[in-house]
Amino acid sequence: MNGSEIFGAWVAVFLTLGIFSYLYKDNPFYKIAEHVFVGVSAGYWMAMAFWTQVQPNLFGRLWPKPEGDISGFLMKGWYGIYNSFGFILPSVFPSGGIDKGHGHDPHFIYLLPFALGIMMLLSVSSKLSWLARLGIAYTVGMAAGLRAYAFLNSNVLGQIKGSAVSFVDMPWFSLTGVSIFNNLIILVGTITGLLYFYFSKEHKGTFGKVTRVGIYFLMVSFGASFGFAVMGRISLLIGRFTDLITYGTETYNYASIWVFLLMIVLLAVWTFKGDKKATG
Amino acid sequence: MEKFLDFIVRAGSLDRRVIFMVIALAVMLPLFFPLGLPIRATNSSQQVYDVVEELNAGDKALVSFEYGPSTKPEIHPMAVALLRHLFSKDVKVYITCLWPDGQFMALEALEQVAKKQYGKVYGEDYVLLGYRPGAEAIIKGLVSNIRKVFTVDSRGDFLDDIPMMVGVNQVKDFDFIFSASAGYPGTVEWVQYAADPTGVTMSTGTTSIQVNEVMPYVQSGQIKGILGGMPGAAEYESLIGQAGIGTSGMDAQSVAHIIIVGFIIFGNISFFIERRRSKKY
Repeated sequence: MNGSEIFGAWVAVFLTLGIFSYLYKDNPFYKIAEHVFVGVSAGYWMAMAFWTQVQPNLFGRLWPKPEGDISGFLMKGWYGIYNSFGFILPSVFPSGGIDKGHGHDPHFIYLLPFALGIMMLLSVSSKLSWLARLGIAYTVGMAAGLRAYAFLNSNVLGQIKGSAVSFVDMPWFSLTGVSIFNNLIILVGTITGLLYFYFSKEHKGTFGKVTRVGIYFLMVSFGASFGFAVMGRISLLIGRFTDLITYGTETYNYASIWVFLLMIVLLAVWTFKGDKKATG
Repeated sequence: MEKFLDFIVRAGSLDRRVIFMVIALAVMLPLFFPLGLPIRATNSSQQVYDVVEELNAGDKALVSFEYGPSTKPEIHPMAVALLRHLFSKDVKVYITCLWPDGQFMALEALEQVAKKQYGKVYGEDYVLLGYRPGAEAIIKGLVSNIRKVFTVDSRGDFLDDIPMMVGVNQVKDFDFIFSASAGYPGTVEWVQYAADPTGVTMSTGTTSIQVNEVMPYVQSGQIKGILGGMPGAAEYESLIGQAGIGTSGMDAQSVAHIIIVGFIIFGNISFFIERRRSKKY
């Protein structure tokens, strides 16, 4: 076990126990862990998105490594811009162009997303923030178009196709598998659940009774969701405890035990001081 | 009797920190002293197993890692178990990541299973294409042309230089898709943009909280089976006959559930006694 792995384990233990310490009450350890998590996550996501998408797939397509010498006035000018960027940021714009397997000719169509991306960043300027709307409008329009078909195909047609089953050769009852009884429950649940969200008619009389059945189905669904949520959270707790137990061994210099004890002592001092301040 | 009811009412307003402590002990003790409770595979887990069992040596499986450290205890055990099953059948594994930290999860799983356990060769038996941001747009890109989205793999090698990428151009070229998903983008997007339009068989492994959302796709046959959270992983481990992290966590999971159910029943009894008393006086 090398030093960096042991150090990493100590940091992991500190951050885990720092987050757990919130169960006692809000305290500086929790605040440190929370801020570190938010900062690291934001930085990490940004760096990953830049180095896996913006640099190779945008800049790499606009300024690919040319096969031979750059010829022509326009191309020389185009790569002149690249070289000036490279002078400032050589790691992003390496000398001679970016070689990411997109071919050897620039794809100028990518100037469009480049421009839209810059426009979105202009939302920070009060004078030019209107330009950001163009980028946002494109993103919203593209996403809506992309999703409309997928939802219609998978969530509407696919689900209807899956629900409209033939009862031929199907057993009347089965606890876990497919059966006529189970399919009837799905049918009743779907119709009454949908009717519950029909608000053009007052939920009274027979209609009210039917929608009430819909509510029961919804409650069962929420209960199942709650049960699964509890199960998930317990699994995550098991994961953290398993790591804490591992890091509490001799291999990691008993990191969990030391950090736990130190944190308890410091929390006790912090609480005691806080109480004194409050009474004094 | 009245004293006993008084005790239950008082216990109903127990300090929440005591409850946290009890749950912590309920989780921790079975990790130190395993109970060895039996694990029985559900129909949905069995379905995933059966689909993988039907694959032949040389078939191509596209496995997508859409989770990170925050959901690792739930998804990682099933990802490892699935890779074990796939590699044991000599299926070629292609890995993509729609989450940035998914790449590190994939690297860890491959190191453990592909390299150390099965001695598989990178580029011939498995390939880690890596992470690309773009969610459903990436899936759509993979459906039309993989090389539009990935020109290089996670190591920076050109796709055309990787032997197992020969003849693999789009999602239709795969025999099986598996999404190890902890949220968006994940299973739902793979169904909508890849499995449904192409007809390639797909299974999934999700966090427990996602099961309700994904189950309708399983019921309708759009997804062939689902592994739900840590119990799903444990069931899959028992099906392939290789106990792993999922199995070892199930005792703690079961004990914690019993305690939580106990608390819920106890809390309700306390609530009803209190309500009856307030009505009385």
